[in-house]
Amino acid sequence: MTIPATPNRRRPDSFLARRERFFWWLLLPTLAVLGVVTLLPMLYLFVTSFTPLNLTRPDTAWDFSDPFVNYRLIGEDRRLIDSMWVQVKLSFWSVLLQLAIGFGFALLLNIRSSVMTALRTLFLVPMVLPPIVVAIIWKVLYTPDISPFWWVFAQFGWDVPSLITDPNWALTAIIIADTWQWFPFTMLMILAALQMLPDEHLEAARLDGANAWQLTWYVILPFLRGVLVVAGLFRLIDSIKAFPLIYILTDGGPGSVTEVTNYYSFLQAFNFSYLGYSSAITVIMVAATVVLSWLVFRLVGWGQNAE
Amino acid sequence: MPSKSQSVGRASSRDRALLIGLVIVLATMVMFPFVWLLLMSFKTDADILSTTPKFIFTPTFDNYSALWQGNFPRSFLNSAIVSVTSTALAMVFGVPAAYALSRMSIRAERPLSLLILCSRMAPPIAFTIPYFLAYRYMGLTDTRTGLILIYLTFNLALVVWLMRSFFDSAPRSLEEAAWIDGATMMQTFLKVVLPMSGPGLAATAILCFLYSWNDFFFALILTRTGAQTAPVAVVNFMNYEGWEWGKIAAGGVLVMLPVLLFSIAVRKYLVRGMTAGAVKG
Repeated sequence: MTIPATPNRRRPDSFLARRERFFWWLLLPTLAVLGVVTLLPMLYLFVTSFTPLNLTRPDTAWDFSDPFVNYRLIGEDRRLIDSMWVQVKLSFWSVLLQLAIGFGFALLLNIRSSVMTALRTLFLVPMVLPPIVVAIIWKVLYTPDISPFWWVFAQFGWDVPSLITDPNWALTAIIIADTWQWFPFTMLMILAALQMLPDEHLEAARLDGANAWQLTWYVILPFLRGVLVVAGLFRLIDSIKAFPLIYILTDGGPGSVTEVTNYYSFLQAFNFSYLGYSSAITVIMVAATVVLSWLVFRLVGWGQNAE
Repeated sequence: MPSKSQSVGRASSRDRALLIGLVIVLATMVMFPFVWLLLMSFKTDADILSTTPKFIFTPTFDNYSALWQGNFPRSFLNSAIVSVTSTALAMVFGVPAAYALSRMSIRAERPLSLLILCSRMAPPIAFTIPYFLAYRYMGLTDTRTGLILIYLTFNLALVVWLMRSFFDSAPRSLEEAAWIDGATMMQTFLKVVLPMSGPGLAATAILCFLYSWNDFFFALILTRTGAQTAPVAVVNFMNYEGWEWGKIAAGGVLVMLPVLLFSIAVRKYLVRGMTAGAVKG
């Protein structure tokens, strides 16, 4: 298994061999554990997706008589197709808003001063809060009885519906909360890239008489294209996993207007006990994330720096 | 304030002051939801439900003491035990492996980063379903051991990736000197390499702790009452005992407290942890 080390004449070969063997001893336990805790469960999930497993009927556990039953159902399941559409809307708007707001804030914060450094740390807060706390915060703000926002609306005499129980607004409410939580992430990635922007680029454009808008549009944005794509992809992949916000704020409702595929799969598995069907949906979701991860790879270059 | 003008903002000092003013206003807006929850946790139910929102009120610790008398301390303890143990396990296995990968002659970048990205990006339900089924047979449902194991799915890969990049950037001359002086491989690793890597080890351990502590989905599915973690306990104040806003707010504050403290300590590494697998630090 060991690939021979590059020859090194200053040291005896036995030392190199011993060293390599030692490294394998450090590595093997971890590979074994990783295999057991991640690969094996993935395999189990895949196998389960070919059974009609229903927790209320134990005989369905290893029943492979009709292996593709779940995958056939997927094509006919209206609610599943709708959930994918909800997912597209949620992902599109939240990623777009997070990139736009993150970019705006990064431009504002890209000034060296001690005040700005302190403020930058403040902006991290939403991103590092436990997701469940973020969900609680917005549950409070979206509940008209106790929300300071609805008190303000009342002062102005506006009759604003409760966003999370209104079918027209529930998804928007989730998008707002998700954007609040995650724009600091895109902001941080963009700020890091901005600090690598060579001053000469800006200087040259200024000498040519470019104004601030032209500078942003023709110099800064093209320079940031790479980091915008990578940050956007990371947020896109994470938006597929959105759970605590939906669970706490809307529970997928009203009706199923905020029911994304991940949530639907959760309901199938742990509310309706159709684990076999849920496994098949999940296999499809994993396939989608693998494709997206592969895209990240292609764009970033395997394990290399983003820039 | 110290003014070292740079890149985009090559503005006059008046513009600068305006800009900083604008950022302070925006920061206040962004922080408001967070501050509101914090204030709420010190309010009485009457103040919470009052028709005019109260910024000035007599603070009370009633919500916190109510939590202290219930089952919440137990859940908090579960969260702490599970997060610390899973982090420790991931470090014990992952750090030596990361060192080996950094120093070995094999090229393991691609399979490793693929494995890490997949475990980082796959929806949690992909692991939850098989673990849920397996734990029913193994009797690990609603146990701390069960949670510790499933947290390894993301912690172990994260440790290997982050620590490898720390080891990659560490100088090798000291360990080579130790070998020449006759130290064994193990001695060199334990007495020379590890002590040099203090900051990297601390940052990695904190990130693992944060990910485990923040988990909601795994704990929601795999625990009932025995091993229930703090995030799940807070949510239960919404479902079973009516809407106890005071307790919910106080519980939320307690859950986020360790997270905020640790996050500030590792703020330099936050993005590195979140993009692990794709972007090298």
